[in-house]
Amino acid sequence: MSADRPPRSEARDRERSRDLLPGVEARATGGLERIAGRRLLVCVGPGGVGKTTVAASVALGAALEGRKALVCTIDPARRLGSSLGLKELGNVEVEIPADRLAEAAGGARPRGRLFAMMLDLKRSWDDIVARYSRSPEQRDRIYANRYYRQISNAVAGSREYAAVEKLYELSTDRDYDLIVLDTPPTAHALDFLDAPNRVLDFLDNDAARWLLTPALTAGKVGFQVLGFGSGRIVRGISRFTGLETLRELADFMLSLSGMYEGFKERAAEVKALLGGPQASFLLVTTPQPLAVTEALRFHELLGKDGLHVSTVVANRVHPPAGAPEPAALAAALARVPGLPDDFGPRLSATLHDAQTLWRADQAELSRLRREKIPFVEVLRRDRDVHDVKALAAFAAEMAGAKA
Amino acid sequence: MELPVPNARAATQREGPGLPAAAAELFGRRLLVQTGKGGVGKSSVTAALALMARRRGKRVLVCEVNGGGRIPALLGVPAGGPRVVEALPGLFCVDVRPHEAMIEYGLMKLKSAALVNAVLENRVMRYFLKALPTLAEVVTMGKILFHVREQAGGRPRFDLVLVDAPATGHCLALLRVPATVLATVPEGPLRDDLRWMAAMLEDPAQTAVNIVSLPEELPIDETLELAAALRAGEIPMGVCFLNAIWPSRFSAAELPLLPDDVFWRPVRETVRRMEARADLCAVERRRLVSGLDLPVVDLPHVCVERFGREAVESLSRAAEQGLDATAALREARP
Repeated sequence: MSADRPPRSEARDRERSRDLLPGVEARATGGLERIAGRRLLVCVGPGGVGKTTVAASVALGAALEGRKALVCTIDPARRLGSSLGLKELGNVEVEIPADRLAEAAGGARPRGRLFAMMLDLKRSWDDIVARYSRSPEQRDRIYANRYYRQISNAVAGSREYAAVEKLYELSTDRDYDLIVLDTPPTAHALDFLDAPNRVLDFLDNDAARWLLTPALTAGKVGFQVLGFGSGRIVRGISRFTGLETLRELADFMLSLSGMYEGFKERAAEVKALLGGPQASFLLVTTPQPLAVTEALRFHELLGKDGLHVSTVVANRVHPPAGAPEPAALAAALARVPGLPDDFGPRLSATLHDAQTLWRADQAELSRLRREKIPFVEVLRRDRDVHDVKALAAFAAEMAGAKA
Repeated sequence: MELPVPNARAATQREGPGLPAAAAELFGRRLLVQTGKGGVGKSSVTAALALMARRRGKRVLVCEVNGGGRIPALLGVPAGGPRVVEALPGLFCVDVRPHEAMIEYGLMKLKSAALVNAVLENRVMRYFLKALPTLAEVVTMGKILFHVREQAGGRPRFDLVLVDAPATGHCLALLRVPATVLATVPEGPLRDDLRWMAAMLEDPAQTAVNIVSLPEELPIDETLELAAALRAGEIPMGVCFLNAIWPSRFSAAELPLLPDDVFWRPVRETVRRMEARADLCAVERRRLVSGLDLPVVDLPHVCVERFGREAVESLSRAAEQGLDATAALREARP
């Protein structure tokens, strides 16, 4: 944001960004202050676009502004830990040392506090099971089940669910001003948004309940009570997967019984939290064609679900090239003494490449502009973001106070 | 196994003379899986390999895994979705989607569309299919491997099956799924299928996983970890394609030759930035080569405004040269 403009209210900002041509203007209207009123920020986006860096720098930026912020990451991002001055990121919140924060603030005494943690999703699932099981025996029976490990790893959306469930816990049990969640790289946008629904579907399925209830009383699953219907279908299923597989799976479902209600309540609360006024989504992309395609899809799905997208960050954008007109370049080159003969062609090739990169990026970004999606551009760095200073610079650039 | 393993001699004959050693070694396999971190160019490299195989006269099938038609888009041909279509003469594309794969698998087992529908629409069954999502991965992998074994006119329908696989973690799960599920499910028809699937995936004569990477810090880290995980999982590996390498065009002494004035300053800054990127590529490349026990095939950054068929063609030629150079390098090594 340019310094000579008076600060604007968030509401007016939103008003403005609707009127103005999005894109370049979004940089001027600043993306990040629109996050200000939200306590939870979920960073989503395709894989490999820099979500973790964005999440960490947003949290750092908030801490430097005097807030108490937490960044949760899912990837075993050792680098994130080390760049924050932590030896290891565990499943518990760890505070970033004040001197490290001061480094980011350019030596000034930090006004806020920054915490970081890494979500261990397997542990999170174990916690969920422990919370909702009716007895230690039931809990242990579930832990020991051979399907459990697979399911906690593989139920579509289960990783995502464990992440948002943890987010819920952190947002209700702690006093952070801002919690930033770095989401796992999802193959598909829906996996994340749909996670509570799917897990609910899995655990609180009318069909399952009514099918298993008679079996519960009988204590054993028989296919007559499972209600598969005609013998023809049962035979079909048996040729498909084998009945034994289903029988064992049904046994596993039985071991989960009684957890439905508590779970359902919590999942509904998690859903409400994500759609509520406290939460917003930060969509990260790069100007790569596939990444932009996925980002557009994410954006559409978030909108469809009525979820609030506070900011879109276009990361690793190439800056415009300093490339003069070819004729002017040739004339100027001729006046420089001591250049090797092939210098001109090499220089042209490099400048041409640089220009192509910029043009290609802008062409992709115009797809966001066409959809009237405001976004913040963050330039590609020469080096990866390695320490708190670089993270702070990244945060500053995102906030629009660009160097 | 129901179907015979493809005749090794026939396969060699089809490759013809003059095929570079490393390419032959790679293309001697029946199944090549490309994986790596998100955004490294798995689809582009897979498409490039497909064009290269096609130039060699191979009938090649490119499988996407629920990818939504990225490969046809890169090749500039209409997407055929979940059906196998001949996108270019001798080059087939398919998007393997779990739901459709499940129906296909069901048809294969039950031989009746009505019964498949009845089974899949059965509400108990639907519930279990949702609860056991690895089944979706099993049928996805199953469909891909089925095409590797598929016969037409007394020979394999495809000489080579290429997979534009999901990113690292998901791909590892996919490759391991037959073995994982084998350890879980009891005896039954599913187990029989899982056995041949696991055997095919573990067979270095048939299968190779190629890692695609970028000369940047995180992709290289992930590549090194992935290679270790594949090795631990005893999954046969091929090569690592290091994608989008920037050339360095200037020596350090040359840039200061340009005057430091208003005209040249932006030019100098642009060149400095591009050279810094090339330097970083070189640093990361060295780290990869020293840490990885796989041949590294260098691929240049194909600098175009729109990455389409032409760019894939040029990447494909570069891959061919790169595989050549890798082979030469390996032979030169004592």
